[in-house]
Amino acid sequence: MPGLNTSMDIAVQALMAEQGALDVTTNNISNVNTPGYSRELAVFQEAPPIQEGNVVYGTGVTLAQFQSVRDQMLQLRMYEETAQQGDSQAQLNSLSQIQTNFADPSQGVGGALTAFFNSLSQLSTNPTDPNARQQVLTAANNLAAAFHQSAAALGQVQTAMDQTVPQTVSQINQLTSQIAQLNAQVAQMQGLGQDPGTTQDQRDQLVQQLSQLTDVSVTQTDHGITITTANGVPLVVGGQSFALQSGAASGNGLQGVFAAGQDITSQIQGGTLGGTIQVRDSVIPNLLSQLDTLASQFTASFNSANQAGFDLSGNPGGNFFTPQAAVSGAASSFGVAITDPSLIAASLDGSAGSNGNVTKMLAVQGQPLPEGVTPMSAYANLVLAVGNYGANAQANVTASGASLQQLTDERNAISGVSLDEESTNMIQYQRAYEAAARVVTTVDSMLQTLLGVGVTK
Amino acid sequence: MRVNPNITPDVLAAIYETQQQEDTALQQLSTGKRVNVPSDDPLAASLMVGNQDQSSRNDQFLQNIDALTNQMQTADTALGSVVTALNQAISLGVQGSTGTTTPEERQQIAQNLVGIQAQILQLANTAIGGVYLFGGTASTTTPYVLDSTSPSGVKYNGNDGTNVVQVADGLNVQTNLPGSQLFQNASGDVFGSLQQLITALQTGTASDAATATTALRDAFNSITSNRVFYGNVENQLNSTQTFLNQEQVNLTSQANTLVGADITKAATDLTQATTAHDAALAAAAKILPTSLLNYLNPPTS
Repeated sequence: MPGLNTSMDIAVQALMAEQGALDVTTNNISNVNTPGYSRELAVFQEAPPIQEGNVVYGTGVTLAQFQSVRDQMLQLRMYEETAQQGDSQAQLNSLSQIQTNFADPSQGVGGALTAFFNSLSQLSTNPTDPNARQQVLTAANNLAAAFHQSAAALGQVQTAMDQTVPQTVSQINQLTSQIAQLNAQVAQMQGLGQDPGTTQDQRDQLVQQLSQLTDVSVTQTDHGITITTANGVPLVVGGQSFALQSGAASGNGLQGVFAAGQDITSQIQGGTLGGTIQVRDSVIPNLLSQLDTLASQFTASFNSANQAGFDLSGNPGGNFFTPQAAVSGAASSFGVAITDPSLIAASLDGSAGSNGNVTKMLAVQGQPLPEGVTPMSAYANLVLAVGNYGANAQANVTASGASLQQLTDERNAISGVSLDEESTNMIQYQRAYEAAARVVTTVDSMLQTLLGVGVTK
Repeated sequence: MRVNPNITPDVLAAIYETQQQEDTALQQLSTGKRVNVPSDDPLAASLMVGNQDQSSRNDQFLQNIDALTNQMQTADTALGSVVTALNQAISLGVQGSTGTTTPEERQQIAQNLVGIQAQILQLANTAIGGVYLFGGTASTTTPYVLDSTSPSGVKYNGNDGTNVVQVADGLNVQTNLPGSQLFQNASGDVFGSLQQLITALQTGTASDAATATTALRDAFNSITSNRVFYGNVENQLNSTQTFLNQEQVNLTSQANTLVGADITKAATDLTQATTAHDAALAAAAKILPTSLLNYLNPPTS
């Protein structure tokens, strides 16, 4: 049979439970702006009832646990989208630098090619004019400078991106080692049936940062989570992390990424690292190769035109541009072979005043190179490629940004701290606390009454 | 249903987006260009390479036409003077062919003709800036020099070569006629018939002079018909110039379509973006400070 003392005990327990719940609210409110924080709930539970005869009566409330509210699936999708975002953003940043070199159609290789052919056209009106000849040489040297500048611009961006690889790899290693530590704690707490709450928030936040750097695959196991790269190289297993290494890769002399001695550079996808490697190893080499092909084939094509004619002294024409032994590197080694303007083989019949071979030189402008298009179309295609890469990266950044924003909204709808909700809870707990306190007062008063029985004044 | 309680990032995103729209519209208005870097419109940027090339090439063609027109006019003027001189020579030849002229008079006429010969020689050696117009492609050597051993009295140092210059895409015009074709062709030999007349007047008979005068007439007809070449080229250059100028206008208009901003649209966009931006700011100002706490009474002690 419960007595007044039992009521007092139940009331005190209720006071403690409400106070504990208020702690949760306080903690939630405090962390309203903490990135990655998942709101916690105070889980109240009925205390085990007591049965006496036919009467079962409750023994109040206990605060069973503080539980974080989270959606693990949503979290995984956010990792993926974050990796996509990091990838596109890295590509966009580098492509924005590259494309300024191809922005003005009257400048660069395109403009220089036009100017070069115009100088030849000018020469055709007066093939013996030394000024016109000098102008052809000047325009040819400008063309060489334009090729060098474009190749150097691409090379500089490539080098700059290459230098970030070791930094990114070391950031990844730092993150995976922190994640492994927290992961072990989370697994331990989960093993004990506790809610890992804050520790899990911190771990998930770090995984989010890791996703920004490279695409990872996260799987839930009995020992916390297992993180691998997108192609299955383990990074974190339970409480253990596996560091990646960076170093000179064989072949191209660029920085490679290694896992346990294996070169996994080409398998890295997503994230800043994936985007960087994509631009460094695929986009820039592709653009450079287009530029090199143009430089090499134009050199050969124009040289054979020059060789078909005779120079001002009536000698057969030689190489106008420095012959290119290999396609690779042709843009950066593009050069003018002659310094004497009289060596321009404008004459077709050997007479100084003949301009017949200039016509053949000008024809190079309109004839397809071996790659199938005219020099100017080859350059236009290069501009198109640069533009397409940039536009794609821009579109991806926009798309993944919108997607990520939506996922964040969804996550916050579940895990975010609502001040309105916390205020409501606060009032609720306060009222319950006041009521329980009133019970204590009432019981106290009842005890007073009881103690006063039989006492005569 | 629980909704996202933290709308600050969304509000900021909306503000950024409208701001971005404002920036884009403003940039289009201030630069007048829709495509400022290739990624703005890769295809248009790539087509602009061709447009720019064509436009710049046409500018060069127009310069070529200016230079050539000058050459054609100089050549035409020189040949005009040759025709005048030949006319005069023919009159003298007719005068010398009549049986009534005395030998002294014939010598006198021959002297005049030697002067005309020198004049035509000088005209046949017309040059612009050291470049001889009637020497074929051997344009750096004096085409005609006096040569007493030659039956025509002169020696041709030029060649039969001709030059062509491109003045528009796919349009090459021949820019010269060699002296060999102009002055000494099968249907008439200017220098040969002139020399023949001089010799006839100096040492021959009236009928010799008449024969030579007839030959000179043939040469006159020949050069008159050849001279038409320069006039034709000039006409062709003129019409090409008109065509190219029109072409330049078309290219500018094409460039405008490709990368130019639609100013009306950009201005409208700017207005819309500004309105949207204001609305986003106003909404933020209204929503952000609001929570249940605003409506709860402060706890009373």
